[in-house]
Amino acid sequence: MTQRASLLQGTLDLLILKALSTGELHGLGVSRRIEQMTGGTFAVQAGSLFPALHRLEESGWLASMWEASENNRRAKYYKLTKAGKRQLGEATEQWNRIALAMTKALEA
Amino acid sequence: MVLLARVTSLIRNLTRRNRVERDLDEELRATAEMLAAEKMRAGYAPDAARRAALAELGGIESIKEQVRDVRSGAFLDTFRQDMHYAVRLLRRYPLFALTAALSLAVGIGANTAVFTIGNSLLRFSPVAVSDPDRLVDIGRSFDGIPIGFNPASYPDYLDIRRRTTTLEHVYAHPLFTKDMTLASTTGTERVVGDVVTANYFTALGTRPAVGRLFLPDDNDQPGASPIAVLSHRLWVRSFKSDPGIVGQTVRLNRYPVTVVGVAPEGFQGTTVVAADVWVPMSMVTYVTGSTAAQLDARGAGWVVLGARLKPGVTFQQAVADVANIDGALRAEYPGQQHPQPFRVLQASPMADKMPLAAAALLLLGAIASTVLVIACANVAGLLLARASGRRREMALRLAIGANRSRLIRQLLTETLILFALGSGAGIVLARAMTTALISLLPALPIPVHLSLTLDWRVVMLTCGLALVAALLSGLAPALHASRADVSSVLKDESSGVSARFRLRNAFVVAQVALSLLLIVVGGLFTRALQQASSADAGFDASGVEVASIDASALGDSETTGMNYVRELIDRVGRLPGVNAVSTARMLPLASESMGLGLSLPGAVPAPGESSADVAGNGNVVMPGYFAVMRIPLRAGRDFTDRDAPGAPLVAIVGEEAARRFWPEQDPIGKQLVMNAGTGAGSVLQVIGVAHDVKYRTVDFGTVPFVYLPMRQHYTSTVTLVVRSGDGRSTADQVRTVAAAMSPPLPALSIQSLEDVVAVGLTPQRVGAFVAGSLGLVGVLLAAIGIYGVTAYAVSRRTREIAIRSALGAPRGSVVRLVLRHAMSLTAVGCAIGLVLGGLAGQVLSTLLVGVSPIDPVTLGVAIALCTGVALAACYVPISRAMRIEASDALRSE
Repeated sequence: MTQRASLLQGTLDLLILKALSTGELHGLGVSRRIEQMTGGTFAVQAGSLFPALHRLEESGWLASMWEASENNRRAKYYKLTKAGKRQLGEATEQWNRIALAMTKALEA
Repeated sequence: MVLLARVTSLIRNLTRRNRVERDLDEELRATAEMLAAEKMRAGYAPDAARRAALAELGGIESIKEQVRDVRSGAFLDTFRQDMHYAVRLLRRYPLFALTAALSLAVGIGANTAVFTIGNSLLRFSPVAVSDPDRLVDIGRSFDGIPIGFNPASYPDYLDIRRRTTTLEHVYAHPLFTKDMTLASTTGTERVVGDVVTANYFTALGTRPAVGRLFLPDDNDQPGASPIAVLSHRLWVRSFKSDPGIVGQTVRLNRYPVTVVGVAPEGFQGTTVVAADVWVPMSMVTYVTGSTAAQLDARGAGWVVLGARLKPGVTFQQAVADVANIDGALRAEYPGQQHPQPFRVLQASPMADKMPLAAAALLLLGAIASTVLVIACANVAGLLLARASGRRREMALRLAIGANRSRLIRQLLTETLILFALGSGAGIVLARAMTTALISLLPALPIPVHLSLTLDWRVVMLTCGLALVAALLSGLAPALHASRADVSSVLKDESSGVSARFRLRNAFVVAQVALSLLLIVVGGLFTRALQQASSADAGFDASGVEVASIDASALGDSETTGMNYVRELIDRVGRLPGVNAVSTARMLPLASESMGLGLSLPGAVPAPGESSADVAGNGNVVMPGYFAVMRIPLRAGRDFTDRDAPGAPLVAIVGEEAARRFWPEQDPIGKQLVMNAGTGAGSVLQVIGVAHDVKYRTVDFGTVPFVYLPMRQHYTSTVTLVVRSGDGRSTADQVRTVAAAMSPPLPALSIQSLEDVVAVGLTPQRVGAFVAGSLGLVGVLLAAIGIYGVTAYAVSRRTREIAIRSALGAPRGSVVRLVLRHAMSLTAVGCAIGLVLGGLAGQVLSTLLVGVSPIDPVTLGVAIALCTGVALAACYVPISRAMRIEASDALRSE
């Protein structure tokens, strides 16, 4: 149970960083972008998304600012910081290693 | 970079909480609106879109809660909230808070006080002693008490030193320090002197502050090394820290000695007694009343030994080694009496002189922990009561998404605040309690230096104790409260209540039992004190003042010493206000004893014994002693001035001695034979029979006792005993007389005999006072517990009681209903308490001489007290139950 949660948490962090790599988004935007990127495989619950966003922000990987949304509502937008970009690179690399290893292991 | 971000967010979270909260709210609200807009674009009606959006988000408040949990400083934040909430609750129920905090303060305060005293006694960090953990103390074991020493003899010391394979630097010094007179160019003063073998300082690894200390090759043969080492304190006080003192000659008890050095500051060996001056063993016959014979007498116990474990040797090996030596000595000297086996203990300030203090301390510790347990049970009971009142609140909070660990944390925070209040007050209380405890200890005849300041270790220990106690007493109620089952509570339930109720009952029973235990212990000690200090001790201590005099300091010979004492008695006796005056070798009930060395004429020694000594104790007194002490003479006459050297040798025997030596016969005119000393073989004639007096503290049973006249048996250390006529102290006048003597007795230390006797009763006195007063506190706490349980029972059964009385049940049956519960708890508590009290009485039986461990008076009073208090505690709830009207009861539901 714990293991699954931590795996998911790591995955969610990576997906959020990736979602924001193309530009700034608000919380709902991040959620929609992830759905779109994964072809609907991951539908992120708000109860997981917002704590993760805040945690990543406090870790210094995301920065946030208040801007007008597409329907002119004040909304909180997130974007990657330099550290966040670096983290995305590292995490992607690590993920690829794990995915490769897993694939190998499962094919063997 | 990442760390910096964390710190910044932490600071922001903590300092600008409102702003952070507002932002979070805004962010989630915006998300909800955008989601709703999305739904509307997908064709939902505005209202339906908003509802669908909120449903998809899954509860804004619960998301907020989850976000808060991941924030930096989330823990601190929660803690602050909990604190805030807890303080508010405690302020809303001040009586609850006050009771709980106060009971904890008493418990924690008592423990801190005992720890403080124990710490100063037991913490073994002797000043200027190297590697003290490798030091051991050796003496003969103490009858009945597993700690403390009887003294060993000087030949014992020489034997152990010669034969040991596990110990090095075996040293010896007298069990008791000696008062000495120090005369130098700066004046004359009384000092406390210790006589040590020359290897003493080497054994302890002590380095001098000035000059040198004794060296192992300073000769221990009598008179060989007339030298002395001064304490740093004496050096500063009397010699203005002049290093030039080294090499000067001072007079100790009129005997010239050369000061060779000054001990380091604060050095007092491994004991609590702070000596002013040390002289080598070779001086023992010059500066104390001891005779050279004492150095050779295998049976004369007067020293305790110390030693250092050889490298690589364990303590157990040393114990076995000394036991072997003991066995070998017994085989080699079969005629000798070796009353008790040797005992080896890790060196500690408690070991040699303070078995009574140790016993008192153990007792205090046990009592104080019991009080803390009572206090914890009380707080736990109160918390449980609170918990049942808060089930609805807990259930509600669970229902709106609080998680259980959070609730438990919150309840524990409340408990912790209570304990913080309790320990704060407890530490303050501890100061007062320490002072009170110390004032209970009688004026000791020796200068004892204890540091009784609260040190941080004690405070840490107290806080630790409080924390553990808080967790223990808070956890059960917290777990119970948080287990609130949402649906049943909100439906107004009853499941789970009985379990909690049982737990509360258990707490109340524990409180009653432990309080009863304390009261029983306090009562037993009070009874023992009554027994011990009643006139049945055989003498009347009130109005008697005593001062110990070392005549060896004044006269070099027996004749001058004797004349000096007679002159002193004569002058004091002529003072107005003095009724009677005399001297004695030792005082009753002052933890002293003196062997008899007498046998019956014609008695044949048992095989292996050199003489047929009769068992018993003795004393050497001047005429008038019996009048001063108001010891009735049952037959015959007192000693007179004519019972002098040259006259027929005489003795006065106690009633027990008369009974044992000459059963059914008239003891007057019977004879006893002296076995030891210069007069060995001479015959004493019994001239009187005295009422028996209790001489030792530990064995109050009467032993055969024989008095000898001092003029026929000179002893240089005597105690002046003075009875004043009108009960007013004559100390000042006696001091004036002493100072006018030639040579003067400077700075005579005068104590009331009551104080001296009190030293021996210290554990009983401390036990009676502490156990008694804390027992009362415990009973009051138990009363609060009983009150709480009864009140709760009444409130739970309001409906039942109302219906019963509405149906015509007499009021008496309602009372019985409520009372039965409270009284059955009290009865169970009392029963357990009685068993515990009986066990405690057995454990303490050595200290409770003269009192049966199952003393009906004590037990009866304790039970009556507990029952009375329990009934009183029921009064308010019962009168409330009596007033219950059916209509009110139904409305309250």
